[in-house]
Amino acid sequence: MDKLITAILDGDSAMAVSKARQLNASGLSPEKIIIEGVEAAMSALDTKCTLEDFNLLEIMLAGRAVMEVTKLFWPSGAVKDSAKGTVVIAALEGDVHDLGKNILKMVLTGKGYNVVDCGKNCPLQKLADAAAAERPLAVGLSGLITTVIPVVRQVKGALAARGLDNVKVFAGGAALKQSTPGMLNVDFVAESAFDVLRFLSGLGKGIR
Amino acid sequence: MNSLELVAATVKLQKTERVPVIPQVFGHAAVLSGVSVEDYTCNGEMLAQCQLNALKHYGHDAVFSVMDANVEAEAAGCVLEFHKERYSEITKYALSPGGQLSPLVVPHPEKAGRMPEMLKALSILRKELGMNTMIFGCVLGPFSVATQLIGLEAALYMAVDDPARLEALIDFAADIIIRFGLAQLKAGAHAMLVFDPASSPAVIPPNFFREFIFPRLKKTCNSFDQAGSMANWLHIAGPAAPILPFYPAAGVHIANFDYYISAAQAIKGLPATCVDGNIKPLAFVEGRPDAIRKESMDLMAAFLGRRGFILSSGCEVPLESRPENIMAMVGAAREFSNA
Repeated sequence: MDKLITAILDGDSAMAVSKARQLNASGLSPEKIIIEGVEAAMSALDTKCTLEDFNLLEIMLAGRAVMEVTKLFWPSGAVKDSAKGTVVIAALEGDVHDLGKNILKMVLTGKGYNVVDCGKNCPLQKLADAAAAERPLAVGLSGLITTVIPVVRQVKGALAARGLDNVKVFAGGAALKQSTPGMLNVDFVAESAFDVLRFLSGLGKGIR
Repeated sequence: MNSLELVAATVKLQKTERVPVIPQVFGHAAVLSGVSVEDYTCNGEMLAQCQLNALKHYGHDAVFSVMDANVEAEAAGCVLEFHKERYSEITKYALSPGGQLSPLVVPHPEKAGRMPEMLKALSILRKELGMNTMIFGCVLGPFSVATQLIGLEAALYMAVDDPARLEALIDFAADIIIRFGLAQLKAGAHAMLVFDPASSPAVIPPNFFREFIFPRLKKTCNSFDQAGSMANWLHIAGPAAPILPFYPAAGVHIANFDYYISAAQAIKGLPATCVDGNIKPLAFVEGRPDAIRKESMDLMAAFLGRRGFILSSGCEVPLESRPENIMAMVGAAREFSNA
């Protein structure tokens, strides 16, 4: 398992897939490989990536390895029947920058969450409909530009209109993380994708 | 001492009668004038007029020819979509991840995309402002242009999967911005802003900056120096403290520091280089004038014994910034004694 963890931290997708395949052939279940290998790697990355030593390149390379290992067992790229719950994520209408959201998806997937990605430039209604269908633990919003903030403020209302008052909403990204939960009308503003993990771990399994 | 002389003296760390104040008013100038962002970023005459209107309204110390982050990419073959109320976006990259670089050609600044409109804007600004207010031309940094040509994710993966190809792409990008920058200086820019968001340590590690970015940045700044640029302003947002020490050797004369970096960190990282910063951009939307004024005063006090400081925002002031907040920053600079 250590070699799988090292391969992920090195961003070596081919090696990570090879090690995961070997572990599976030796009798370990995909779930065990994810929990003890992939999730352990993401925890190590979390520790390494302090605010002063955090860059997208390293996260993306590790994330790419995570996604390749996940696809080995679940070709859709999503962990089926995640014990941790589902998170619906989007970059809202007016924001076409999705790198931050994509990284969040990789990190959450690596920690065993089922991630439903509504994409970039996502209309509020589409996001709310997805949340109504998935009954998620939380809804995550990524924003690189400030002009999307008025739409962010409407998300909790759109969820409440569908009876999803209990679904937590978090925000992140270069523009949104300059603000506060109160100004954005969300429950949490994250500095990084790993900050989101800590927020989600405090929420429990979700409403389902 | 007029605005241009004030900024020029500050760049040289000379004593000045007051701290220059340059809110990074780009597209906000369009909003202030009631013009669509699309018109502003596509029409050089309109851009120049809006910048002049903003200068008259706020009374700050410099104007910019910045359109958006896609001018070089569009000129080199990317397809854009424009919007009335926000900046353009790339809908098709000039390069596919597996594609060859060879069909790409360095665009001609007087013919390609919106480059001629930016040159027109600079020409008008120079005619109107002469040597009274500093006019900044603008290019994207070499790595940022590279990421715009192929997409940020693809460029970053290329750094590991095919580093030689990425280096070739950054070299090509540097050729674009040098040619474009020289044309801007010829058209009327006094100085150049190199806007390089993709080179932030939030995106790439500092050793990547040292190996891949620094040599091309140095080549770019040297080219601008030789063409008579009065200052090269490097703008890299985010937690840039680890790469600040590279700036002087790269030929950077004004270093932007974002709200992630304290005044003390900026002074320590760049002891003999003019710096500008660092009020949080969103504060100009969500904040209040009294808070902006206080933060401005605190910043100027932090640099009081050091000189070489331009009061500014940590990054561009957002399009929807409240004018009273920008006024508060400009007012604070004029009120603060630099004696």
